[in-house]
Amino acid sequence: MASSILRTEKLCKSFSNGGVQQHVIKNLDLEILQGDFTVIMGSSGSGKSTLLYALSGMDKPNMGKVLFGDTEIQGYSNDELAVFRRGNCGFVFQSIYLLDNQTVLDNVLTAALIVQKNSPELVDKAKSLLKKTGLTEEDLKKYPNQLSGGEAQRVGIVRAIINDPKILFADEPTGQLNSASGKDVLDIFSQVHKNGQSIVMVTHDLKTALRATRVLYLRDGGIVGDYRMPVFGEDDEKERRAGLTAFLEEMGW
Amino acid sequence: MKILRLSLFNLKKNKREVMGILFMTMITTLMLSIVFINEKKIDSAFYESFKESGCVENCIAIKTDKYRNEFKRILEEELGTDDITEARLIESTLTDVYTPDGDIVAYNFVYVTEKTERKMESFKKLDQLPEEEIAELEHPIWIPAAFQIVKGYEPGGSFTVLKNAKEYSFTIAGVYETGLMSSDGYSYKLVLSEEDYELFRMIFSSLSSAESVGLFFDGPGPDYEAYLEKCNEAASENISYSASYYSYGYEKDNETMFLEIFMYMFILLAVVTMVAALFMIRHKISGDIEDQMINIGVLEALGYRSHEISLAYLYEYMITGLAGSVLGLIIALLLTPFVNSVIRVMLGRNVYGAEGIGGGILAALMVSVVVTLFALLKTRTVKDYPPVVALRKGIKTHHFGRNLLPLEKLGADINTGLALKGFMGNLKASFGICICIVTAGAAMLFSVMSFDFFKDGAGNLVKMMQRDTDTLDLCVVSGVDPEMIKDEVLRLPQVRKALCGYSHGNVSVKGSPDSALVNAYADYNDAENITPYKGRCPQYDNEVMVGMRRSRTENINLGDSIILENNGLEKSYIVTGIVGSMENGGTVVYLTTKGYERININARPDAVHVYPAEGVGIPELEAAIREHFGGTAEDAAVTASSGSSEDRIRKAAKEKISVLLDQYGVTSVDYAVQIGDRTITGNSRSFVIKEINSYEGIIKTQMVPIAEMTKIFTLLAMILIAVIVAVLLMIITANDVRRQRHSLGIMKGLGYSSKDLMTQIALKLMPVILAGVLLATVAAVYLNRVFWGLAFATIAVTNVPLILITDVLLIIFCYVVAFLSAGRIKKISVTELMTE
Repeated sequence: MASSILRTEKLCKSFSNGGVQQHVIKNLDLEILQGDFTVIMGSSGSGKSTLLYALSGMDKPNMGKVLFGDTEIQGYSNDELAVFRRGNCGFVFQSIYLLDNQTVLDNVLTAALIVQKNSPELVDKAKSLLKKTGLTEEDLKKYPNQLSGGEAQRVGIVRAIINDPKILFADEPTGQLNSASGKDVLDIFSQVHKNGQSIVMVTHDLKTALRATRVLYLRDGGIVGDYRMPVFGEDDEKERRAGLTAFLEEMGW
Repeated sequence: MKILRLSLFNLKKNKREVMGILFMTMITTLMLSIVFINEKKIDSAFYESFKESGCVENCIAIKTDKYRNEFKRILEEELGTDDITEARLIESTLTDVYTPDGDIVAYNFVYVTEKTERKMESFKKLDQLPEEEIAELEHPIWIPAAFQIVKGYEPGGSFTVLKNAKEYSFTIAGVYETGLMSSDGYSYKLVLSEEDYELFRMIFSSLSSAESVGLFFDGPGPDYEAYLEKCNEAASENISYSASYYSYGYEKDNETMFLEIFMYMFILLAVVTMVAALFMIRHKISGDIEDQMINIGVLEALGYRSHEISLAYLYEYMITGLAGSVLGLIIALLLTPFVNSVIRVMLGRNVYGAEGIGGGILAALMVSVVVTLFALLKTRTVKDYPPVVALRKGIKTHHFGRNLLPLEKLGADINTGLALKGFMGNLKASFGICICIVTAGAAMLFSVMSFDFFKDGAGNLVKMMQRDTDTLDLCVVSGVDPEMIKDEVLRLPQVRKALCGYSHGNVSVKGSPDSALVNAYADYNDAENITPYKGRCPQYDNEVMVGMRRSRTENINLGDSIILENNGLEKSYIVTGIVGSMENGGTVVYLTTKGYERININARPDAVHVYPAEGVGIPELEAAIREHFGGTAEDAAVTASSGSSEDRIRKAAKEKISVLLDQYGVTSVDYAVQIGDRTITGNSRSFVIKEINSYEGIIKTQMVPIAEMTKIFTLLAMILIAVIVAVLLMIITANDVRRQRHSLGIMKGLGYSSKDLMTQIALKLMPVILAGVLLATVAAVYLNRVFWGLAFATIAVTNVPLILITDVLLIIFCYVVAFLSAGRIKKISVTELMTE
């Protein structure tokens, strides 16, 4: 049995909207296991992204606990959370969010150098990871506005994993990509996962969810379904799809 | 109307930046308004005060013992008029008086009777005791308005003149409006009764005539040097040193000089704030356009023309500029009574005439127009963004250029590296910041240098006299060997050092309109406050050192020869040094004693310059010397009617002896008076010192007030500039954070803390701040030199450690302000950014 990497206890998150409190996450208990590729699904407004931000230390819950290993992070200040994130989490955004005044390589190094000292090994690692995603040496010198959406998201993934995070979060990483680019990006996620990386991803997309080892279904701020994908061989895509579809249908998706 | 609404919305949205620009335009208008309103007022205040007094515009005073009736005729010919009034007056230099607080200070005075006063001006009384009280006063005195306005004397109070250790007390009958002779730099006129005038004529003329014949006249005045030459020819002797010239122009220049300097300082501050305001506008418009690019695209797509969109920005700055200008004008007008009182105190005159609000309105309009025009130029850039470009957030924001400072080669920490990248990527804006830092930094450093110069009072100003002022000068009686006095003085425990020299020395410089006061030392190594700016002090009798102003105005350089003239004798001297001396407006010349005797063959040392021992003050030293020598010949020259008959005989004998010694070159006198069977005997051996002078009083009256005023002004200027720099950096940083909000949010997401990002924003400004402070230092040192050269004909003191410390503090201040101003980064929420 894999060990727990991230856990929540009675997690609550609400927002004030015109003086009215909107409870987005309600008393949510959750455990993410080491090495899992966890996908969070649910209808729009169910609180998927809010949960992701709370889990990743991007945002603070109103109540409850977020435990990273044995460390409670819900009481951290914003700066403490930043330090926590840089050492433990990687994040891939739906809108990619590359720094548009920096080259591809510098975008990756900007994330790396806040954690590690500059060294030829680090630069080589960044270049190597970028090249593994299909980018060329020439691409590394390009600025984000010179890249396609798929290329940019590949940079976003490398930027997220350059520090070998304990857990990688992704918020609909293929949401803005065409299907070909989306597939390439998902292949990279699968590859990263195969290398032992724990991943938590929010998605609407069935094809994306099929890559996961576990699917959580969120409704009205609570987890209403927790589906562990059967481990099949490469040729059992249909069966995996059937199982997941059944689960999602059950959830009312 | 819709456009105006958009402007108002923008104003409301960016309150902090708007307040910053409003503050800058307000300060600019305030400074300019103060200058524009008061520049004219200073002139008119002097003119009106002069007019109110009914004073003639000129007075040439020539000592009665040198005066000839021909001099008046020559003047009539020079002026082409016979409307010249003649009256007598007494001039006394560096005369000690008690202040109302009991302190002793020194002024140059002119004493006149009411009869003379009425010939000179209308004797307009401003404040006085009741007539019946005045009629009963034994020693009434009328003082000029300045003595009430500035010095604090009041009618009914006492006014005590100290002369030769005696006190002459008067009761102030009243205060009158004065035209000429009402300034620290020249003299103050006091109106005495006929009896007291006679008494003072005796006191001040005991050894040589202090009474002068005054020739009063209106008009532009003659060429004074040419007039004196004609008088010298007519008299066959040099009367130049026995004549004084008082004129409207000289008096005005003297009284208004410091006010004018303060006005220039206000203009300097106005330039600093205006540059800062314009830069902030430029920065903000660029930021706004970049920030609102999509909105611009949408508006253009909806059919708004680019100039209509530009108007939205323009109105914003027109409104801000106008509001700032109006506020500045209102504050300037509210400050008018205060500024009037400052002018009144600094001129020592009542301020009459109009307030000159027009000047303030002009300043406000100027600032508004400059702001509007600048904003117009900048907002026109909207036309560079047609809808498609604007909707793509401006193709210009895309990067295709060379990657400056790639991170893979980064040696420093990441925050420094990213800050430097940010700086390199925004060099154009850095240029504007640099200009602001240079102007503000130069003004700050100049203020710091000035404050430092005056922080301990007038001490440094005194140093710029380039003569030893912390001495007591004993002028010995003719025939007395000063070396003997020097040796005797040196035995006193209160004395550290004594040097022999000359009490007076004036020569002419051939081809120069300015005669020269002579400073002469046998060996300049003995002088303690004379340091050449260039070259060296004279060592041989054919060498001379000249003041900086003379060097500049007459183009005299090291190695040049100049010809000195005295009583028809001409001698050539080689210039070995140039000294930044303030004395006599920088026209002074420095010779060796032998060199002085070359041009003044009758000159023999007649003075002993006594330096007090450590911890001994000048008054204490003077008391010790008077006690040791039993008073001066001047003391004895004025007889008192009290005492026994023997006392009166001895005093009368001493009076005669002092006159014989001083005026007839007698070196030794013995006397014996037989009264019945009694013989009263005595001799001249007790008379060795003619008079005792010091600079202490004049330093207190002329230099200390200047030092105090400048100190306060520069301190306020420092605070104001610090506020300006802080506001400027706050706006730049706030704008920077606003523009980079997106990137900063991403960086936060990557794990950069707010502190990291604040450090980056502050560090990004450092290269330009360092460059700006460096350039500002050069500019400030240059400005300081120019200021001291022009204002005081001397060399500015450059306190290098202070400048370096100020530079470091300025850099730290800028960093801290930028860092703290970047604190709004904390408000950027990563999740909000991602859910937009």
